[in-house]
Amino acid sequence: MPSGGAAGMEPEPDQPKAVAGGGRRKHLAMLERLSKHSSSSTTSTASALPDSTSASPVVAFLTRFAAAKLAAESALSACRASSSPEDEATASLAAAAAAIDDLDRLVAESSHALPPYELRSALAAAADLRAAHRAAASEIRPKKSFSFRNKSRAPKNPPQDPATVPPPQPPPPEQPKPSIDVILPGFGFRARNGATLVKDLRVSNDKDGDFTLADLVSCEVFLKGKCRALYVHKLRDCRVFVGAVIGSVLIEDVEGCTFVMAAHQIRIHEARATDFYLRVRSRPIIEDCSGVRFAPHALKYDGIDEDLKESGLEEETGNWANVDDFKWLRAVQSPNWCLVPEEERLQTVDISEIHEREHDS
Amino acid sequence: MGLLSIIRKIKRKEKEMRILMVGLDNSGKTTIVLKINGEDTSVISPTLGFNIKTIKYQKYSLNIWDVGGQKTIRSYWRNYFEQTDGLVWVVDSSDVRRLDDCRAELHNLLKEERLAGASLLVFANKQDIQGALKPAEIAKVLDLAAMEKSRHWQIVGCSAATGDGLLQGFDWLVQDVASRIYVLD
Repeated sequence: MPSGGAAGMEPEPDQPKAVAGGGRRKHLAMLERLSKHSSSSTTSTASALPDSTSASPVVAFLTRFAAAKLAAESALSACRASSSPEDEATASLAAAAAAIDDLDRLVAESSHALPPYELRSALAAAADLRAAHRAAASEIRPKKSFSFRNKSRAPKNPPQDPATVPPPQPPPPEQPKPSIDVILPGFGFRARNGATLVKDLRVSNDKDGDFTLADLVSCEVFLKGKCRALYVHKLRDCRVFVGAVIGSVLIEDVEGCTFVMAAHQIRIHEARATDFYLRVRSRPIIEDCSGVRFAPHALKYDGIDEDLKESGLEEETGNWANVDDFKWLRAVQSPNWCLVPEEERLQTVDISEIHEREHDS
Repeated sequence: MGLLSIIRKIKRKEKEMRILMVGLDNSGKTTIVLKINGEDTSVISPTLGFNIKTIKYQKYSLNIWDVGGQKTIRSYWRNYFEQTDGLVWVVDSSDVRRLDDCRAELHNLLKEERLAGASLLVFANKQDIQGALKPAEIAKVLDLAAMEKSRHWQIVGCSAATGDGLLQGFDWLVQDVASRIYVLD
């Protein structure tokens, strides 16, 4: 009967075959040929020996498939039933996964001998079980990572996330802000207009700290000595001279400025019409910039050689000219930056005579 | 399906883990990876694209994907989400001004369903810099407590420059991922 049923199903694959094109059609045709071959070889014997499993691989498969499917289903229902002890649920979940894996393997092994309909319904049954297992897994352990295919979890997760994540968001923005000034009182120049700002990091104890320049307009900034990191934000028409930065410099939103500095890393965001005189260990990068120009380092003061050396910056790497523009990832030169023509470059600036004392306008 | 079973089995045999490193630019992702791999960290250019490192760690083989953090390329992070076992979010603890950005990007990332199962390690990097915020303060600003129930997470203070805290962080991450993935062993 099963083999006869399989033979009766044969016309059906002709429909998808007619619609489907290319490789799929070829594949189906091959499966069909194989199934014809196997079922024709079985139909002759099947009538004589209807119960013989050796005679029909299809019957054998269906029997084994039914058994494996039953095993997977019972493991799944076991883990749904054992709701309270998590270990138990986890164990039966794992057993279910193993049973479904067995099912997959069985289908894969027998696929060449199966009629198309049998194959498709077996694959569909395995997929259903897989989906049921996934649902059970997310119920029991929502964090279980089945990273291969968690797309169908989409309807489950998003409703939770927006509900749990955004509401606590609004309050924290207020908390960190007061702490900025509390924690970093002396580590920077902020909100000044038309001032000359001088800091000698060698005489203070701040040499392991970072330094911030923010919201400055028409200022001259002189920073001698070394610091670990430099943050620059919102500068307009300023001239900035910095000794050595052992770590990285992050510059954001500057316009009409000149920077002279040495550092290990330099990142420049949203700069317009600004010149950079740099010595840098790695390649400087720009992003969302226009009209920025680059030139080699040009700064001098008593002791700068020691500062550079102790910061690992004594060597001129030539990287000041190797600028990466994240908004221009092509082989040709970015229109957003260029080199300062030699005749326009600053002469080496000597700031030895400038001492720590603020001249406010 | 047969292929997936095979891949999964191979993955189990070699005890492989896929770790995704993300965070804002300038947070020190590449430096952390090189430092933990015992490489020179004195010349590192900002990452244009990504780096992959395979590191033997305890009995595991970590595939670490270090993806650039510049604003322009953050939208490409999603190309690396598939099959991520552990997520490392790196924070520049001395960049107080951008912590709001940092939190927004992190929570945006965590909405991603393909990362729903991944353990989260937050590195509060640059602790060696005076004035850097402490891990507890970073946790508060990033609102990590909000996902107490929905995800395994841990915050660890570290310094990629000195190496402090890096092993502690990776120890936690590897243990946590292992306890989920290799539950059958």
